[in-house]
Parts: sequence; C-alpha cells; structure tokens
Amino acid sequence: MDGTAREKMLELVALYALGVLPREDAALVAAFIANDDEARAEYLDLRAAADALALTADEPVDSARTARMKERLMARVRAGVPADGSIARRRFAPTPAWFVGAGLLTAAAVIFSLVTVTQDVSLRGDLAAAQRRATTLQTQMAQGERTSARTRDDLTQTLTDLVSPDARHYEVAQGTVVVRGQHIYFALSKLPALPRGHVYQAWTAAKGSAVMQPSITFTPNGSGVAVVALPVDAQKVGTVAVSVEPEGGSKAPTTTPTFVRPLT
Amino acid sequence: MERVRARDDAAFEALYDAYHRLVFGIGLRMLGDPTMAEDVTQTVFLKIWSAPDAFRGGSFVAWVSRVTRNRALDVLRSRSARPESEIPADLPLDGALEDDVFARLDAQRLRDALATLPADQRSLIEQGFFGGVTHSELAQRTDTPLGTVKTRIRTGLQRLRRALGEEVS
Repeated sequence: MDGTAREKMLELVALYALGVLPREDAALVAAFIANDDEARAEYLDLRAAADALALTADEPVDSARTARMKERLMARVRAGVPADGSIARRRFAPTPAWFVGAGLLTAAAVIFSLVTVTQDVSLRGDLAAAQRRATTLQTQMAQGERTSARTRDDLTQTLTDLVSPDARHYEVAQGTVVVRGQHIYFALSKLPALPRGHVYQAWTAAKGSAVMQPSITFTPNGSGVAVVALPVDAQKVGTVAVSVEPEGGSKAPTTTPTFVRPLT
Repeated sequence: MERVRARDDAAFEALYDAYHRLVFGIGLRMLGDPTMAEDVTQTVFLKIWSAPDAFRGGSFVAWVSRVTRNRALDVLRSRSARPESEIPADLPLDGALEDDVFARLDAQRLRDALATLPADQRSLIEQGFFGGVTHSELAQRTDTPLGTVKTRIRTGLQRLRRALGEEVS
C-alpha cells in the first residue's frame, strides 16, 4: 500500500473510531487495523477521544423523571428480569416506545379497515383481519429487530477481536490470522481474484493432527479483501489453511493451499 | 460491577444513581425525545442487570456509553431507513487514555476541550457521535465534500485527543 492509499485508510480509521463508518466498510477497516500496528495505535488513541464525547451528554435530569425511571427499573429488577438480555425481554414486557409503535400500526390497520367499510365489507370482519395483519406485522418487526441485533452483535464481536490488543496475530502472505479467546479470524487483504466458479475455502487441523478438516468457503471483495470468522473453537485448532476450491467447497483440498499457517 | 454480578440490587441501584444522567443524556441527545430516552435508559440498565458479564473490564463509563449509543441507534434505525454505521467494538482499553479521561474529567472540562476545536471540526464530530449517521450523510447534511469531512474528523479527533491528554496529565 503506497503512502496516499495508507493515508486514506487512516482517515477511515478515524471515521470508524467515531462510529460514522457504514457497517460494510467497518470490516475493511478492522482488517487494516489488524494488519498494521501504527493504524491500531492510532485507532486506540482516537477511539478514546471519541468515547470521551459521551461525557458532554452528562447533564442534570429533573428529579421527577429520575424517580419515575428508577421506580420502573427497580420494579422490573425485583420482579426478576430474564437472563437472556434486553432484546428477548422486549417480547415479554413492551416498553412505551413499543406501545407507541404498536399503537400506530394498529391505528393504521384500523384506518385501512374503515376505508374498506365504504366498499361494503363487514366492519367486524375487517377489524379482525386488520388486527391479524397488525399482529403479523408486529411479529415481523420484532423478528427483524432480533435478526438485526444478532447480526450487529456478531459483527461487533468480530471487530472487537480483530482490533483487540490481546489478540494473537499470525502473519501470512495475504494478511493476518487473528486468534482471540475461542475465535479465529482471517483478515486478508491481498487475495488474488478467483477463477469463475471457484471460491476460497478455509481448512483447520486439530492440535497434533495433520488431517485438514473442511471449514467455510468465502469470496473476497473486488479489492481482494476478506474478513472471515471460522466456526471452530480456536483452543482445539493447531493449523489453519486456505485453498481455492470449486463453488460449494470440497471435502479435502484439491489445489495447492494459498497458505498454511500453524498457530504457534 | 462485581456486586451487580452477584445480584446485589442495592449495588445496582447505586450504579443507576451514578450513571443514569449520562445514559439518559446520550439517549436524549441522539433521539431528541425524552420518552424514548427514558426507554433507552431502562433498556440499558436492564441489560446491565440481566447480562453483567457483557462488561469485560476497562472503563465502565466508556462501555455503558457505547451500549447506550448502540441502543439509541437501534431506535433511530427503526424510525427510518438509513445506512447502518458501526459503533466501534467494545474492547476494554486497559491503561489507555480512556481510563484517565473518564476518571478525571467531568462534562464541563470535556466541553471545554471540545471548544478548543475549530467549529467545522467540532460540529462534524458532534453530529457524527450523537447523530447516528454515516460520514456520507454528514457530507450531505453539511454540504461538505466527502474528503473534507474525513480530513476534518480525523484532524479534529487528533486535536481532541491531544487536548484531553493535556487535561489529564
């Protein structure tokens, strides 16, 4: 990477630290940070500065609001909050915003049903249909919210691990293999373009074993960048590798590996 | 947090007393709606209570701020279709400037440090942090070339970092 390109990447590091980088670019920057010590140092510096901005929002809250919020919160705590976190909880105990959203949705459905009355359709039947539609939409919204949160949590975990100071980095010609805790990632930025009908496939060998087990397949973006989380327990893996395979993957490598990297 | 992990609700209440202003304030700055900010505050603290292990060390204030921003972003996204910006990962920065900043600076001193930035840098950084928008949206909103937005944000954060370093040293 030449000086100008590197400078541009460092600008993206600042955007990532502030939290204004689109999600699709964040993985690219995380891969850059994982492969560049100076970029990692700048990221940690700028993120500390960006995080500090939160303090400017620390302002007095009127006492009535404080008391009301605390009463609501502690009532939930004493009633026993499910241990599976806030997103699932919302299904069981809708918050005011949820009631507002659901109310608007129901109102919209009711308005729709009233319009259909003028078309000689039974009001009761329409209301029931409208309520069913509202229920379906509410369910879809809740499912979408959970999926979005899960995707974000996964990505956040990946980015956390990639830029973490306590991650272990194993260099390969195409980038870095990053290991943190039980997670293994490929942060690769120099992957050659693939022949049509082919993909890259990851392989893992257990500690003490030379037998490669098939793992996931992936395709880099147009710049040769791929950030891949391997679905294996890092504690059990001794070696990782990548090879080019036909779409759909193979049960054993069929080409000379792009790289083979012992995790030692 | 150790006592919260041990399900000590008195400790949790004390945690709430100490940080609810910050959490509510971030929610209010991002959403502009006190009712929604209350909802975010409740969600964030219930997350702390129900999943205290999500906090893995480092600065608690920094962590809870990021959790709050993420929650407020979820609300913003549910209100309108918009590109999803990515809040930086919540890794602890042990021994970093962050610990000193949150331990030794208050809101006013942080505002003073922020005020040392040129207005064009300060405005972009504040809008970016609390607006839940991407840099492209910032460029459109402020009618500023994208490259200029990137440079101003980077330069501004570097200046702010230096100013904070001087404040805590």
